[in-house]
Amino acid sequence: MNAIAIDYGEYQRGGWASRPAASVNGAASAPGQGFADMIGAIAAHADRAAFAALFGHFAPRVKSYMLRLGAEPSLAEELAQETLLAVWRKAASFDPSKAAASTWIFTIARNLRIDAARRDRRSADPVDDVSDAPDPEPTPDAILAASQSEARIRTALLALPPEQAEVVRLSFFSDKPHSEIAEELKLPLGTVKSRLRLAMGRLRDLLGDLA
Amino acid sequence: MSAPTKHPSEDLILDYARGALELGRGLVLRAHLDVCPECRASLRLAEAVGGALVADLEPAELGPDALAKALARLDLPPPPPAPAGPRPDNWIRVPPDVLLAAERHKRWAAPGVWVAPVTRDRKTGARSYLLGIGPGIAVPLHTHKGTELVCVLKGAYKDRGRVYYPGDFAENDEEVEHQPRVTRDGECVCLIAADHDLVPRNLVARVMQPFVRI
Repeated sequence: MNAIAIDYGEYQRGGWASRPAASVNGAASAPGQGFADMIGAIAAHADRAAFAALFGHFAPRVKSYMLRLGAEPSLAEELAQETLLAVWRKAASFDPSKAAASTWIFTIARNLRIDAARRDRRSADPVDDVSDAPDPEPTPDAILAASQSEARIRTALLALPPEQAEVVRLSFFSDKPHSEIAEELKLPLGTVKSRLRLAMGRLRDLLGDLA
Repeated sequence: MSAPTKHPSEDLILDYARGALELGRGLVLRAHLDVCPECRASLRLAEAVGGALVADLEPAELGPDALAKALARLDLPPPPPAPAGPRPDNWIRVPPDVLLAAERHKRWAAPGVWVAPVTRDRKTGARSYLLGIGPGIAVPLHTHKGTELVCVLKGAYKDRGRVYYPGDFAENDEEVEHQPRVTRDGECVCLIAADHDLVPRNLVARVMQPFVRI
């Protein structure tokens, strides 16, 4: 981590290095907006300082996600690299009215991991995403809502009953079918599924205008 | 085209969001998501949950030169886009690999019926394929081992009293014994993912199966 902090230094003149912290704490009025702006800066003028700041924040977390899904450390690191490289290349297709930066980066990471698993099994088709599919009516408040969604979801997750939060967490940090998750928890499959449904329903209610 | 009226279960959308859906099943779901704003909203919520969970993870330690390596890779040429076949007339949008399969692997399986395999999981045997059926033709009576996901890409078929139009989604399990019939208006093309082969329920189906191989 230290090495990254040092590397960062030379990009501080770009002005980004001091900004992510504010949004990470979730204290700002539009948490996550900082990251969305950085992606915008990459799209607009290939801003390397913005990339370095995004990398510093997200690459270690994406690696952590890959490790949780069972990737070897070297693969986890490579997938974190590839995820942030894809952020650089696809920055122009990021639509801040549709998703928070963290959501978008999560979908890229997820897809790259599926690709990697497939390469492993020597089958060949690339995974694309549906997130660029056209949507009928983007509302004027959508950008603000999407950038706030991450903080709101965190709050909403904290408000879930612990047993519901647990199955949500387990299912996102595992690619196992719910039947195996149920076995690990020593719970009937129906219970796991109903907890998930309750949790997602609650999140939907709490975050109505996101969906 | 109006929005589809027959949707996948929330469970499937959540599995897709968390990256746990088998490849072929993911393709079928994506075909539906692409034309269904309602299900896309569900997907977006689930993905936002994934994003928030990952954002909250304890950061892992990266290699000492991780950022330098990434910066050095920024100017490398991007990987070439996935090859895709042309989109046939009147199909809803599908991923490039599906179009490619339609172009390269289409074969006639019976009069008025064609099949094009799309994916096959070597480990589990799960597969996905395109099935094109001419107007008015019925698929012989059959049931399924495991579940089958279907999304209509073009045309329409009738199954147990309901008509499935482009974008409509069906999930058929072992309880379902059916004989879907394509409407008389024209050819119907579906993208289908199945865990296992069909289980034929009558002589015609049994005779056809070795040829159709689905």
